[in-house]
Amino acid sequence: MKAWLRGTVVGAAAVAALGLVWSGPARAQDEIRIGVIYPLTGAAASTGVELKAAAELAAAITNRELPAPDKLAAAVGMPNLKGAKIKLIFGDHQGNPQVGATEAERLITSEKVVALVGAYFSNVTATASQVAERYGVPFLNADSSSATLTQRNFKWFFRTTPHDDLFVTNFFAFLQDMEKKKGVQLRTLGLFNENTLWGNETTKLEVKLAEEQKFKVAEKIVYPAKATQMTSEVQRLKAANPAVVMQSSYLGDAILSMKTYKELGFSPQMLLANDAGFNDSEFLKTLGKDGEYVFSREVWALDQAERNPLIKRVNEMMKERSGVNFNGNSARAFTGVAVLADAINRAGSTKPEDIRKALQETSLSAEQLILPWKGVKFDAQGQNELGQGIIVQVQGGQYVTVWPFDVATKEVVFPMPAWDKR
Amino acid sequence: MTTIHLPKTVGALALLGFALLLPLVIQDPARQNFLILILMGAQLGVAWNIIGGYAGQVSLGHAVFYGIGAYTSTMLSLKLGLSPWLGMLAGGVVASAFSVAMGWPCFRLKGHYFAMATIAVAEIVQVLVTNSETLEGAVGLSLPMGNTGVAAMVFSTSKLPYYYIILGLLVVTVLASWAIERSHIGYYFRAIKDEPEAARALGVSLTRYKLVAIAVSSFFTAMGGSFYAQKEMFIDPGSVLATGVSIKIALIAILGGVGTLLGPVLGAGILITIEEYSRVLFGSTGSGTDMIIYALMIILVAVYSPAGVMGLLHELRRRIPSLRAKAEVRA
Repeated sequence: MKAWLRGTVVGAAAVAALGLVWSGPARAQDEIRIGVIYPLTGAAASTGVELKAAAELAAAITNRELPAPDKLAAAVGMPNLKGAKIKLIFGDHQGNPQVGATEAERLITSEKVVALVGAYFSNVTATASQVAERYGVPFLNADSSSATLTQRNFKWFFRTTPHDDLFVTNFFAFLQDMEKKKGVQLRTLGLFNENTLWGNETTKLEVKLAEEQKFKVAEKIVYPAKATQMTSEVQRLKAANPAVVMQSSYLGDAILSMKTYKELGFSPQMLLANDAGFNDSEFLKTLGKDGEYVFSREVWALDQAERNPLIKRVNEMMKERSGVNFNGNSARAFTGVAVLADAINRAGSTKPEDIRKALQETSLSAEQLILPWKGVKFDAQGQNELGQGIIVQVQGGQYVTVWPFDVATKEVVFPMPAWDKR
Repeated sequence: MTTIHLPKTVGALALLGFALLLPLVIQDPARQNFLILILMGAQLGVAWNIIGGYAGQVSLGHAVFYGIGAYTSTMLSLKLGLSPWLGMLAGGVVASAFSVAMGWPCFRLKGHYFAMATIAVAEIVQVLVTNSETLEGAVGLSLPMGNTGVAAMVFSTSKLPYYYIILGLLVVTVLASWAIERSHIGYYFRAIKDEPEAARALGVSLTRYKLVAIAVSSFFTAMGGSFYAQKEMFIDPGSVLATGVSIKIALIAILGGVGTLLGPVLGAGILITIEEYSRVLFGSTGSGTDMIIYALMIILVAVYSPAGVMGLLHELRRRIPSLRAKAEVRA
């Protein structure tokens, strides 16, 4: 028994010794260390690697390693810090909230980062940002959409992307804009959402906003996610005859519903989808021409590059460095690092408190960004007030931006033609 | 008897003393956090070992108890302002009750079928909680940051309180496990594991003692879940009810050595170390190297030491005297 216990003691000591070996690397004085936490392994690794590439591009532009359009927020560099260089230290959260918190702690205490960026998954952002809050280090979130994150009254949390509630609010703004532009009435709504948390939350918010803005909910259907047939649901929708169907579906249900609409000859004036299944690359591959004229919300679309030479230029740089175009996620990660770099430069210091103050005073305009936003300006809870989603429409097998009208690249096709007239 | 027990007691006290002093030597918060993760894993492994090791009923659904603990203490704290110290006990009681209700039908299933049933129950609960409005579904629950202190079990930047709380919890769990191991119940458990038919023939009620085992095991697992909620201050089904949590808990005990008192502690030390180091060293490259190394280590242990690291140590101890004897003969 003695040897057995001795074994345990030796084992424990070995583990402890390993803990001691863990040491931070030596660092240069004039670098600004920023921690970046993304899912670099696990189910979302492919997204994480794109986010990482986008963050690195923003850092390279700030560090003047690449020539970039002068107007771009990141292109200002760090003149107030004598041209100090940004160094991004990456942490991998594997899609696990506890790992996210562990990485945040390691980056802050061992790597001595002055600010954190992350973490894509809303639940990982929740735990990682509470670590930053405890240590008093700014946490900039560029890409998590759960509305609750900015309802926590955190002092050190800032979010550049619009959240889920804002996206739904955008739908109603879009409908009102359409009414004005086309001189039509789009006041009757059919709400058609799947029944997991996302669909249920969306339904609740849509009902509330419809009431406030005097829209009439003609039919409200919450269908089981992964449904295998939708005939009765679509018949109910058809009977209610709404002008607009607002739909939240994942890929399988999105495809199934479109097939059922065609089968039953149901075509409302407008089909307005809530991202997800309708924006999946498989959606148009499967449906082909039957996917035409559908509207959906997005955060970014590639046609933005055609509209704006600045976006085109930055997208080319991204393509050159990492072989892929920007998408909604990577464009937001790029913007996150750029916004943080801008704040650090204005702070003229790497003290967390100075950076926090500078973030609070952020005021970037639309022309400085690669996202179709009005700008970046944080409210008291750290939410960017000037962010917005865009509405895309499938036209000729492509998703093209049609709203907000000032960033649109194509004219809206409205109303949706009947199935037998296509 | 005392001559045999004395060095064991001394060893145990030395180990405890070492654990008590360790965070005073290692002051870097990230490393202290790493030690806390090991203790958290160890506590869960020891708790799992009571049902999975001693009683031999492999559960792959322990996340359900972990989640019940985390949700119970968090809800009680958010809605009723109850201190998590009491919430932790409440979570343990709720989890125990749930485990008995779940075990009643499931213990009619043998071997692999029991393991499959536990996976199913855990999945069902995860789906239910994800769709529950009262529990905020997939959005998750956040504990308020402002309320710090011992009563609220929330500490701003110091890691020491968390370290000592989880160390205390681990010691209590190990003591409970030790008491069971030495008592007649422990013998019943092992009889149920090795020869269920013979045990029944001798009058041991299989169902009753399996229920005792899972009730105790789930009680401590739930306390571990409450601790997680207090430490990370945010819970959602994806973090406390996920299948990965169940697998990790079982893996810690299996890797260290099932049915041994401190095997799970050793297992946690090894597993968490591999996990953290491989991620810190290779994770940020985004190439998945850390996952490959992690998997390789587990496969190696499974192939070369199916009885866990504890089994390996026993084997070494058996061989060393014989090696010594051989050397003497040659000399």
